[in-house]
Amino acid sequence: MDKFTEKLESLLGPLVEKINSNRYINAIKDGFFGAMSLLIIGSFFALLANIPITGYAAFMTSIFGKGWSDFFNVPFNISMNIMTLYVVISMARSLGKTYKLNSIECITSALAGFLVLTPQLALKGASGLTGIPTENLSSKGLFVGMITAVLAVEIVRFFENRGWKIKMPDSVPANVATSFSSLIPTLMVIIIFNIIRAVFTLTSFDTVQTLIYHYLQIPLQSLGSSLPAILLLTVFEVLLWSVGIHGSSIVGNVMFPIWITATAENAKAYAAGQPLPHIFVNEFYSNFMKIGGFGATLGLAILLFFFAKSKQYKVLGRLALAPGIFQINEPLIFGMPIMLNPVMLIPFLITPIVMALMTYVAMATGIVPYANGTMLPWTTPPVVSGFLLSGWRGAALNVVQIFVSMAIYYPFFKVQDNIEFQKEQGQAEAEAKEA
Amino acid sequence: MKKVMLICSGGMSTSLLASKVKKLAEEKGLDLDIFAIAAQETDEELEKQKLDLILLGPQIAFMKKQIQGKVADTGIPIDSIDRISYGMMDAKKVLEQIQGYFK
Repeated sequence: MDKFTEKLESLLGPLVEKINSNRYINAIKDGFFGAMSLLIIGSFFALLANIPITGYAAFMTSIFGKGWSDFFNVPFNISMNIMTLYVVISMARSLGKTYKLNSIECITSALAGFLVLTPQLALKGASGLTGIPTENLSSKGLFVGMITAVLAVEIVRFFENRGWKIKMPDSVPANVATSFSSLIPTLMVIIIFNIIRAVFTLTSFDTVQTLIYHYLQIPLQSLGSSLPAILLLTVFEVLLWSVGIHGSSIVGNVMFPIWITATAENAKAYAAGQPLPHIFVNEFYSNFMKIGGFGATLGLAILLFFFAKSKQYKVLGRLALAPGIFQINEPLIFGMPIMLNPVMLIPFLITPIVMALMTYVAMATGIVPYANGTMLPWTTPPVVSGFLLSGWRGAALNVVQIFVSMAIYYPFFKVQDNIEFQKEQGQAEAEAKEA
Repeated sequence: MKKVMLICSGGMSTSLLASKVKKLAEEKGLDLDIFAIAAQETDEELEKQKLDLILLGPQIAFMKKQIQGKVADTGIPIDSIDRISYGMMDAKKVLEQIQGYFK
């Protein structure tokens, strides 16, 4: 086992380091991180506009009049429904920072570049008025946005580094000089993106948005959100955690843009009262599979809390249950430990797979509704999260899942607890003899 | 006053540990400021704070080199927390580890 894990560690370590220190992956991660609170808030407004209780809509209309739902729809529309704008801003800032570039220059250039690529349409019936389709600013434009942000900041960097900017004589005050010096990089961003836009109008795609959406975003989405992909990623995450590496942050960071698009599309459909398109959204992974943290360890935390015989695990149970309710399980992974522990790694692998299959079957057969696109902080306790995502049937699914998690972990917990108990007994006896 | 920054992925589990160690340090009358952050906040905190020690949660020990590069010129020591004491949230052991750097 030792040799095997050593090999695994030396194999995974550099890979993880590479992924984690990748400038672009980090910029994407920070991009979403920065926009997160706004997206969470926005998605809750969609939930409030569409509480699935019979008579809710009629009740609200009777009190607040016909326009009541606008009170919830407007905040949703200007937040989650145009999420790409915020992600572009946040990503450009983060990437610019890693190059030590001026933040505002990066943000304005990236945003301008993105809007250059976004079509402008004349509004029917209103002469001279044009509009930008919000659809292109929603999750549909997310990949264009991410690519634009990276490209725009790289262009700014290219010109800043070469010093091709307007230089002012020393007598000009510094602030005045910077206002000129950023002109060239930003101008170049606009020129380059405008050329790209112009070239695309000659092709059958018409806009870059169409090409990227159909030929990059949709294929990646259907590949990354399929059941086999989810199971494979789960196994990979177990491998990482098994040698003590934070697997969730690695898998999550890479997959998040793909999964969150599905969440946003469900939210959009939900807000519009249409059938939800995706069974697999980000919350499927973070809230229906990770009951109590990765490995669905809430059942194990409960077992330790109520049934541990050994002193060590009684202490651990008291320590691990409260964080476990909030989806944090480092005490179990490192304290029990689960990592590098062949006994506990077996249920640690089986349980999340069973959770995934249970959720999938329950949703595919229609027993439990698909997650409605609400974005939840990953620390939302199970049952509460199930309720917010899929109504009372979602909550019920979570309850069943907790019991299943307990059942799977039980025999392994017993073995482990016994080993520890025997050890403690042996120690106590040895001490008694010495005394 | 010695300033110790703990880092983990989301800043959640290290904050559990940080508050425990802080309490213990106060009880012992030690002049220590211990706080936890998420890995994403590292750059900002490094700019803001004058630190004496950085400790990483074992689950992100692989980031040691990366963060080391950022603080190389300041000479701030950086290490990861022992796995078992981290898992058991063993404030006593972690405090011992921290004091080891300030001898």
